[in-house]
Amino acid sequence: MSTPVVELRGLVKRYGARRALAGIDLTLTENELVGVVGPDGAGKTTLLRSLVGLLEVTAERARVLGYDLTGDVTALKARVGYVAQTFSLHPDLSVLENLRFTARLHRLTAADWEARVPDLLARTGLAPFGDRPAGALSGGMRQKLAVANALLPVPDLLVLDEPTAGVDVVARHEIWTLLAAARARTLVVLATSYLDEAARCDRLLYLDTGRVVAFGTPHALQAQAGLVPYRAWGDDGRAIARAARALPYVRATRATRRYARVEVASAEAPASGGVLADLRALAGAPVRFAEALPVDMESTLLALSSGASA
Amino acid sequence: MSAPIIRVTGLTKRFGAFTAVDALDLSVPAGTIFAFLGANGSGKSTTIRMLIGLLRPTEGTIVVDDVDVVREPRRVRERIGYMGQKVSLYQGLTLHENVEFYGGLYGLEPRALAGRWRELAERFDLEAIDAKVEELPAAIRQRAGLAVSMLHRPRLLFLDEPTAGVDVRSRGLFWEVIQDEARRGVSVFVTTHFLEEVDCCDRVCFIDAGRVLADGTPDELRGSWEAAYRIEIEPAPGTQTRVAAMLAAHGLPVATEGTTLEVHLPLLEARELDALQAVLAAEPATRVRVDEVEMAEVFRRLTGGAAA
Repeated sequence: MSTPVVELRGLVKRYGARRALAGIDLTLTENELVGVVGPDGAGKTTLLRSLVGLLEVTAERARVLGYDLTGDVTALKARVGYVAQTFSLHPDLSVLENLRFTARLHRLTAADWEARVPDLLARTGLAPFGDRPAGALSGGMRQKLAVANALLPVPDLLVLDEPTAGVDVVARHEIWTLLAAARARTLVVLATSYLDEAARCDRLLYLDTGRVVAFGTPHALQAQAGLVPYRAWGDDGRAIARAARALPYVRATRATRRYARVEVASAEAPASGGVLADLRALAGAPVRFAEALPVDMESTLLALSSGASA
Repeated sequence: MSAPIIRVTGLTKRFGAFTAVDALDLSVPAGTIFAFLGANGSGKSTTIRMLIGLLRPTEGTIVVDDVDVVREPRRVRERIGYMGQKVSLYQGLTLHENVEFYGGLYGLEPRALAGRWRELAERFDLEAIDAKVEELPAAIRQRAGLAVSMLHRPRLLFLDEPTAGVDVRSRGLFWEVIQDEARRGVSVFVTTHFLEEVDCCDRVCFIDAGRVLADGTPDELRGSWEAAYRIEIEPAPGTQTRVAAMLAAHGLPVATEGTTLEVHLPLLEARELDALQAVLAAEPATRVRVDEVEMAEVFRRLTGGAAA
């Protein structure tokens, strides 16, 4: 049995009277990609900051890479890579200078630099921008630099707080290629609000009000989701969505021009045929065709946020 | 078709030798939700800053709600509401104090302001008016930010990545609010990196390297792809021939794949939807599944790499 990388029992973080983390139990041993998801204010950032030793916490047991989070965490900080939610590299230093700064902090050798930096720059597409100040990079390039910077010392744990928020789909893909490579040798924990990214994680940790609501593979969480999506097509998707919200078992809708996607609480709804008939009969919003959809990440996370999951 | 609320021709912005926006033409019909997309660094933010009068273009014309923005950059700001990714409410102040502050900036009389806020607060479900902004849950802060940007009854809203980093439920509720505003006649110019949100909009414009790559309804963009819709039909045993014949009679191109039938279409319109429903009515045991190509895929294809 290998030593857990993360071992938390009853982890609590208080801000005044408020408990941002209200007793987190979590053990992570394998090299895997763990996604932290949940509503705004659930405690995601607080948990990630705790993991890298940035916060004073209380716990029955709180160890990361063997270091006690309630004690001296100086040595822990040298072994983790962390990408904060807000860009925290030096805006006046160039791409290369930022990386050099990190290399010196971690006492990397010239050989380490040669072995890693050209590769990181190539994989992030940052190679042509080595001399550009970080503050003058586009949002996507900045985030790629932040991830490259966190990977440079080859950390034993990589923690990223919404590394791809506001990042375009191509840059997101490049960041995920880096993360997938990092995952082969280290535990990666990241917060995300993108559905496709949540679906790509090995396991998902769903937090709400500072507590773990669910923890499992995307597949397992999907299987427990208490919401089933339907799609009702017509000439005015927005009118269909408004009408569908009046059905007692509808928990959420998303309207496009041509259809409304409707999330149905399976415990309260009739069988599929009944739901389809109800959708076809919506008052004031003609539905031409209705279909049941397979449960996906959108339904799963909506179910968890509405307490509809098993 | 209503008159455009934004008209841009030949809009260009150069920073030294670098051309950030390159002869851009845009037309946003009034009352629509218009998605403005592009990769980081594509010229999106520069364009928005010019549209709202914060940055002077090198060349080109901009007319926003009948205001010539190049000549009268200040006047346009009275006509529009703006909300960025970082909601522009002042921390340390309560929501009420923010409302008073912005109301004052917009020159609203106290009584008119109170009435307007009551109306917005009810519509956007905002109660915690005495809470400090930083104490509000993010989803409420976001709705409050939108409400504050609308105090002066703008006919046009600029929303720059309003949902970045926001969870899926709050995003959904936010889009409900946006669509309700559009129904009331407000035009919305919005940017996002959640490509599934593009389908919540009426029109979408995609730019790359400061130029328009594609401009149309989400359907039109999808429709450039022959198999944007893949419909899988599983007839009950013994009904395959009959179902295939019905689909063909409705003019759908049916292909047989073992025990299932497949229909590939660039667009899924009333005629096709009615055909599917007719099949279900005649053969209720038939299983039909529509697979719509994702917007992310449409953009990857359109751009061959660069994407929102």
